[in-house]
Amino acid sequence: MVKVFRCAARHGYAVEVSPFIPNRVACAASQYYGIAGCGSLLVLDETESGLSLIRSWQWGDGLFDVAWSESNEHVMVAGGGDGSLQLWDTANHTAPLRVAKEHTQEVYSVDWSQTRGENLVVSGSWDQTAKVWDPALNQSLITLRGHEGVIYSTIWSPHISGCFASASGDGTLRVWDVKGGVCRLAVPAHNAEILSCDWCKYDQNIVATGSVDCSMCVWDLRNVRQPVNQLRGHTYAIRRVKFSPFTKSLLASCSYDFTVRSEEPKCGASLTERMDGRSEITCSLRLSSIIHTCVASQLIDRLSDVPQVPHTHTAVD
Amino acid sequence: MHRLKIISGHLSPSSGSSQDRRDLWRTECGSGPEDVVVVHGLRTAIGKAKRGAFKDTTPDELLSAVMTAVLKDVGLSPNKLGDVCVGNVLQPGAGALMARVAHFLSGFPETVPVYTVNRQCSSGLQALFNIAGAIRSGSIDLGLACGVESMSLRSIGNPGDLSSRLVDNDKARDCILPMGITSENVAERFGVSREKQDAFALSSQQKAAKAQTSGLFQQEIVPVTTKFVDDDGKEREVTVTKDDGIRAGTTLAGLGNSSQVSDGAAAVLIGRRSAVDALGLPVLGVLRASAVVGVPPDVMGIGPAFAIPAALEQAGLTVDDIDVFEINEAFASQAVYCVAKLGIPLEKVNPSGGAIALGHPLGCTGARQVVTLLNELKRRGRRAYGVVSMCIGTGMGAAAVFEYPGL
Repeated sequence: MVKVFRCAARHGYAVEVSPFIPNRVACAASQYYGIAGCGSLLVLDETESGLSLIRSWQWGDGLFDVAWSESNEHVMVAGGGDGSLQLWDTANHTAPLRVAKEHTQEVYSVDWSQTRGENLVVSGSWDQTAKVWDPALNQSLITLRGHEGVIYSTIWSPHISGCFASASGDGTLRVWDVKGGVCRLAVPAHNAEILSCDWCKYDQNIVATGSVDCSMCVWDLRNVRQPVNQLRGHTYAIRRVKFSPFTKSLLASCSYDFTVRSEEPKCGASLTERMDGRSEITCSLRLSSIIHTCVASQLIDRLSDVPQVPHTHTAVD
Repeated sequence: MHRLKIISGHLSPSSGSSQDRRDLWRTECGSGPEDVVVVHGLRTAIGKAKRGAFKDTTPDELLSAVMTAVLKDVGLSPNKLGDVCVGNVLQPGAGALMARVAHFLSGFPETVPVYTVNRQCSSGLQALFNIAGAIRSGSIDLGLACGVESMSLRSIGNPGDLSSRLVDNDKARDCILPMGITSENVAERFGVSREKQDAFALSSQQKAAKAQTSGLFQQEIVPVTTKFVDDDGKEREVTVTKDDGIRAGTTLAGLGNSSQVSDGAAAVLIGRRSAVDALGLPVLGVLRASAVVGVPPDVMGIGPAFAIPAALEQAGLTVDDIDVFEINEAFASQAVYCVAKLGIPLEKVNPSGGAIALGHPLGCTGARQVVTLLNELKRRGRRAYGVVSMCIGTGMGAAAVFEYPGL
């Protein structure tokens, strides 16, 4: 069953399921495919009958990514086309709690660290830098340089503290050590722009990348000379990849080819689910870490779309 | 623009494998070789019935003028046409004979078939739907969709043979209401004030006058040389290039707020994209959706308020996604109602005026609106969507969504 929320004149860019409230998602959206115009941040609750709008805020530039706080159920951070990060509170109806503007170009990714004892935000920008922030966004703690193209994705490792991975238009996947302030690993992962990366939740060495070359690669960081698996199912650029929170070897992806797929790389790239029939570019997706059967995906031309997908298969390890 | 460049790069990467990739900008909205595309369209000027420039011109002549000109413009031989469909309302049998005569007057070979269709005010659009359907079903590759009406030579009148039982059925009885009464019903039932109707009608005249003065209609009108009998009974030859219903200096006081009774014709060449590409023909627009729905006959004018959402849903679009709406102004009351009901910003509606100023040659109108819409989108230059819609007597509405692919 697919539940759809439509928001006129806004194109969905990112969707994130709340880590506290299982039926709640935050959506970052932009006007005109994010190419020009304003942005919106929306909080939606899934109800029996559909998706209901809990809160929405407008921003003067496109919003490209959003992340929920891991310590406060009301708080989110969003990244915008004006280079700003904004801290939003569902209890505050009007303005963000804080706006931090250090990036000089579009902020395309934000992520809130999940490792114990750590509470940091990382942002990736088209100014080719990644910045790490304290949770109040007072000022950036460190700026990491090294990518030679725009940064599209920055994701904290769920296992290693102070470590995140980034995907860039320069075709490399990089792994960063925040404490040392250095890039520990640069993987020339694709011969094209890499739009997304994600960490396996069950193996600290496994990272997946999704690229404009239509392929998804799974990398073992201990040996990056070649990918441990390459998945070629999509027919256009892969916009986002996400590992399942429940199944070690299950990977979901969404693409400009209008489809969302979930695949099991270990059993020979077999396609396990394919959600098709979309008339628009899928831009973002998120597997719920609380509800096993819930996938939130987002279309670039329609705001948000939460299909219930029964996962009938089992893990193959 | 930087952001556009980077995001476009995701769709057409400069490096990496690109051997068997289609052009994404085309496929992005579901484009493919099976699309029904509009190649070209033209119309005659629209003349005021019984007084205007075409008062002595038979419909086969009007039709032949546009049929010939459309093919000539794109250099297509008529024997490439799989079928020709002509919308007509007032000729006997919807002008089946008249259409075949026009066909031969145009120099089309006998091997090409032709037929007519009558869905009242939507006939010209229905002709396009019919040809599009034949293309989709694989029966034909290319076809000509036309519409023609001479309201000078034929009037609405004879209802044909009807059962006396029609008076026992409310809906059936409502079908014989004069259209003017249905318009009053819409105004009364949905509270469309006289002021709103008049303001809408005046704006239609003003927009049309401005469009005519700035020469916007020149690219869509094919000049027609025909005979004209003047007041003294003398016959002379005239070449008609301008709509004669537009009244530039009109005021609220001296205004009509229903469509004019008119003569005119229009033709639109459509085909399957693969066939159109193979012949090296241009693509002016893509048919994205088509819908016809029924509404109560006594308020038939509300048809577009139901047909447009149906077509938009088919296309996966919303009112916000549409740049231009060509909504037939059968009556100001129903047009105002439909626009308000759908929440369409007025500036998107009939930017070059509508039937109140230009006239409404019944069978021609739908095809004429398609021509006007695609020319307007072409002038604007950017890739955009447009809608053509009209109400239909006896209670229906029709709507089509077109995409202009951009320069």
